[in-house]
Amino acid sequence: MKRLITLSSLVMIAALLLAACAPAAAPTAPPPVQVIVTQPPVVQTVVVPQTVVAPQTVVAQQTVVVPATAVPVGTQFKGITVNVLTFTGPQIAEPLQRRAPDFERLTGAKINVIVVPFSDLYQKILTDHAAGTNSYDAYVLSPQWMADFVGAGVLEDLTARINADKDLQWDDVAPFFRNFSANYGGKLYTVPLDGDFEMVYYRKDILTKDGVKPPETWDDYLAIAKQYQGKPLAPGGKPIYGSCISKKRAAQGFQMFWSIVGPFLQSQGTKEGSFFDTTSMKPLVMNAGMARALDIYKESTKYGPPDELNLDVGDTRSLFDTGRCVLSLDWGDIGTLSVDPANAVPDVINNVGSIIDPGTKQVVDPTNRVTGALVNCDSTTCPNAVNGVNHAPYAAFGGWSAAINKDAKPDVKNAAYAFFSYVSQPAQSSVDVTIGRTGFNPYRLSHFANLGPWLHSGMNQAMAQDYLGAIQASLQSPNMILDMRVPQTQYYQQVALDQALAQFLAGEITRDQAMKQINDAWESKTNELGRDKQLAAYQGSLSITK
Amino acid sequence: MNALVAWFDSMATNVFILPAVLVILFLALVPLFLSLYVSLTRLSFGQGSFVLTFVGLDNYAKLLVGIDHVHFLGLWADPSPIGWLVLGLVILAFAWWLIRYVRGGEFAVGGLVGRIVVASVVTVLVWIMVQTIANSGRPGTVGVTLIYVFVDMFFQYMIGLGLAMLCIQHIPGRRFFRVVFLLPMMITPVGVAYTFRMLADTYKGPFYPVWIALGLGGTSWADNAWGARIAVMVGDIWQWTPFMFIVLLAALESQSIEEVEAAVVDGANQWQIFWSITLPSILPVSTTLILIRMIEAFKIIDLPNVLTNGGPGTATESMSLHAYTLWRVLDVGGSAAIAYMLLILVTFSAMSFVNLVRTRAQAVI
Amino acid sequence: MTLFRPRYRSINTPAPLGMVLTYIILGIWAFVVLFPLYWLVVTSVKLPLDVNRGPVYIPFVDFQPSPHAWIYIFTDLRNDTVRPYINTVVVSLTSTALALTMGGAAAYALTRFTYRPKLGTILTFLACALLAFVALFFGVPWQLAVVAAIAVFILLLQTIAKRFKRSMGNNDIAFWMISQRILPPVAVVIPIYLIYQRLGLLDTWAALIITYVAANLPIVVWLMRDYFQTIPLELEECAAIDGASRYRTFWSIVLPLSLPGLVATFLFVLVFAWNEYLFALFLTGANSQTLPLTIAAQNATRGPQWWYMSVLILIMIIPVIAMAIILERYIARGLLVGAIKG
Repeated sequence: MKRLITLSSLVMIAALLLAACAPAAAPTAPPPVQVIVTQPPVVQTVVVPQTVVAPQTVVAQQTVVVPATAVPVGTQFKGITVNVLTFTGPQIAEPLQRRAPDFERLTGAKINVIVVPFSDLYQKILTDHAAGTNSYDAYVLSPQWMADFVGAGVLEDLTARINADKDLQWDDVAPFFRNFSANYGGKLYTVPLDGDFEMVYYRKDILTKDGVKPPETWDDYLAIAKQYQGKPLAPGGKPIYGSCISKKRAAQGFQMFWSIVGPFLQSQGTKEGSFFDTTSMKPLVMNAGMARALDIYKESTKYGPPDELNLDVGDTRSLFDTGRCVLSLDWGDIGTLSVDPANAVPDVINNVGSIIDPGTKQVVDPTNRVTGALVNCDSTTCPNAVNGVNHAPYAAFGGWSAAINKDAKPDVKNAAYAFFSYVSQPAQSSVDVTIGRTGFNPYRLSHFANLGPWLHSGMNQAMAQDYLGAIQASLQSPNMILDMRVPQTQYYQQVALDQALAQFLAGEITRDQAMKQINDAWESKTNELGRDKQLAAYQGSLSITK
Repeated sequence: MNALVAWFDSMATNVFILPAVLVILFLALVPLFLSLYVSLTRLSFGQGSFVLTFVGLDNYAKLLVGIDHVHFLGLWADPSPIGWLVLGLVILAFAWWLIRYVRGGEFAVGGLVGRIVVASVVTVLVWIMVQTIANSGRPGTVGVTLIYVFVDMFFQYMIGLGLAMLCIQHIPGRRFFRVVFLLPMMITPVGVAYTFRMLADTYKGPFYPVWIALGLGGTSWADNAWGARIAVMVGDIWQWTPFMFIVLLAALESQSIEEVEAAVVDGANQWQIFWSITLPSILPVSTTLILIRMIEAFKIIDLPNVLTNGGPGTATESMSLHAYTLWRVLDVGGSAAIAYMLLILVTFSAMSFVNLVRTRAQAVI
Repeated sequence: MTLFRPRYRSINTPAPLGMVLTYIILGIWAFVVLFPLYWLVVTSVKLPLDVNRGPVYIPFVDFQPSPHAWIYIFTDLRNDTVRPYINTVVVSLTSTALALTMGGAAAYALTRFTYRPKLGTILTFLACALLAFVALFFGVPWQLAVVAAIAVFILLLQTIAKRFKRSMGNNDIAFWMISQRILPPVAVVIPIYLIYQRLGLLDTWAALIITYVAANLPIVVWLMRDYFQTIPLELEECAAIDGASRYRTFWSIVLPLSLPGLVATFLFVLVFAWNEYLFALFLTGANSQTLPLTIAAQNATRGPQWWYMSVLILIMIIPVIAMAIILERYIARGLLVGAIKG
């Protein structure tokens, strides 16, 4: 036994000596873990900057700002490598990878695009930064995560850079993305690269043949789906499905759902928000609108494919593109994918119509959205209504955007910013948004101006106008829904909401049980994190001033 | 110099075993304790660092009695008559077993206490299962994991044994079969999961004509709780049967031939030979094999995650997937708590199995 | 009439009816095994439309095969395919070799030597190791943490440890080692991540190699222990009489005799390391990402790219299958010959 001790001690001392003699391998002392032994809940008050959002007048920071140049020339960033982290493509990653060599030729900076599985992107960024590893200099991420990331000090404030950058043509970016998506607490943290919001797609040929108008409300949507479910209109005379909506658990189902419930909850404009009450932070869940939306969501399953509960958005998209659905709800991808012969059957090519997210003719009483009943739309309850219908296009995710690691080296930060600016500039982005594979959807006003690239991608005139028209209508709507961004948004949406929806669809719980489950889970998390803190963050995300 | 060599030689006992012990100690045991601590905390992020706030047993409470307990333990309902029957049989069996032990020759307090613990825990588990599998109940992630483990292991063993018995015959081409049967185990579990997702897809999968022919064109396994579970189990059985197969094959091949020849000479038939000679000889190997496979089976995660993401609802969610879901949103405390519950469950199963089944198996030979 | 005769080496092949039945059953299962692999091959040459519009089975007959997926993986993503591949190969081979060495030595030791570690020693050792790690967490440089732990250990050893007289035996050590497999990776991933981060080892080969060695040692010990037990002691006693040291005996006599077992274990452990996902997910970044991650990553936010995924899965399993074919003859012979003793 003594030998055991002696031996192990010797081994350890030898290791120690070796380590002492070897060059210091340890990096700079990593930030120590703060282990706080307190009794929850910990209520922290956070001072939220009370600035009004007006991108033109934000105070400049002390960071060194690269003087905006035109397309960067020459070797100003020679020798600099930027590690950009995003999720595995080809969507989003492909255009970055494609443009990296061009940018290197123009400026000398090497752009390294690193990809991880999408479901792990969020935690990878946070742990990489919080543990001090900082192996990534920049990210292309979902702006929803800003609440967690800004609070954790991960993201660099880009306000000054953006303001000084003429070539970025910031005003060309649609107001929603400029004022809300890239914005948190009054500061700009991201450069939008993609415009994400949902629309409804329909088979124009089928609907026009029967003289059916495209759906304006969700009731219309269900009626059309019901009408066509099972009719032998799919290629080969097979029965067609009325509606294909992704309902798979832990995929995009919860975002599809919010397109349905959104117009019930939000009518007064983006600032009203659609998730929580803006003064009490109570979830807007236990109301008649949510109940109706859940019923609509479940009913749509009856008019869809039998395994709709296991379909993610890739599956529904491919179903639609192979001609087996009449209606679908999706981001902008179906438009560009449906004209690609490698993806879509001839029946579908150029026969796809697009329309803004269906709305509702009734909304939850705006004076009490927490538990209120449904009221009819009129000029006070629905000031933004079109034809008496309140639309609330849902900017799910918020559009993949580029952000920079606050702890990266200054020259790396400059190079990263220049790259993202390059990718976002109209000359490059207007091409990328026309290619389905890039996953980039239009977000700039200039993307609609020139039909050329769209026609070039395979759309005919009618379809291009229809598609762009729907996008424009959505982008210009003052009632667009900003996706949730508060600390732990992931939990609220992907664990609490998503699980309750999946269980409700599978019949494990009833509609009222589902509402209660979501409400309880959200409330418990809000209390856990501190109600005031969450409220401040929520208000900050909507740029609400007191 | 010689003295040094001699000393080194005398240290052989330690040199041989210490590296392994140290590695496992530092990389398995120590993180385990640290993880226990993490399960008592909640993670949040401060500026540039992270903060672990101590919350006591809050994470465990959530799982067992709090907001997540239906998800974890299942929805309990009154058992069906069969359920009552099963429960009754289990209780009777344990009672008989305990009484036999007390009445038997060697009686030790420690042994009795151990057996009572085993009996109680297993009875409770059976009770949970019976309640949740009843029609109006619903198994939680614990129940689903147990279903996976026992059903999968049963089929893997049966199929593996059958294939092994066929493959040790001297037939031409048996080497081909032996190599082919080994293949599924070689594929990364994530790859297997995606492959099966492709195969099981209702329209894109190759079995589409089969569904149509069977008249199942309008339904799908994916929106039915048991259908989805069966899909996961089929994938798991496909992947891990080779493991059973290859070990049992080796065991069968190494049997002594003289015994069998003698039995044949004595006029024994197939079944008698199998039952009296083959089975006892592979029993020790089988028990070790089952133990190892059982330990791995509890950790099932890739198939449920990829095939259905735990759906429909929570029908196919295993404990490991439950923990992974929480970990993805950085609720590391909750994730560690579930992992610990899994650890306790597996340790309990393994130790019960080792102590009770294995020793009896050895006694049989 | 017997369906098939007992099937052992000196007894003949089965009767014709038995043969037919055997072939049918084996054929069915072979089909069950091979069909998914065939589907992978076929999917890797399909266009997205061919994948999505419904099942098509035979290239050139049902659809036109297209090498687009293979081209994309090998040219567009060349670096992002080659780098994970090399990482996988290096990490698996190294960790397997190390695991075999350490595990083999430990297994051998457990069958030949008798250990009686005292419970007290073990507990204090554990406590001090924990102490060192906690100190590491709090930002103490690791050299200091180690020295402090050693000091405390020696101190405690002389005092408290002496109180616990109970010893463990070989079987306990073996069971403890084997039971480490019970650990769900999810449980230990965060502490391990933090440990490596403090040591500056994240996103390196070393992190994965060490982790895989630790994770797979139990398997090696389990498999090899049973094998070493069958090697007769007389050979080693002869060698000892002739003056060979323990190491020499192990190296020159025991290992060659147990080659089949070693090869079989090698293959098992290699497969586990090759295919591992969770630790790789957590501990790697851009540089050391391994192939299972690349495969999982094909499931993008807009749905899985089946064609790319098929290509990746295929290139990942081809080397392992080749190795399995070559080493197959060792596997059956090598496994658990001595396990009859349990």
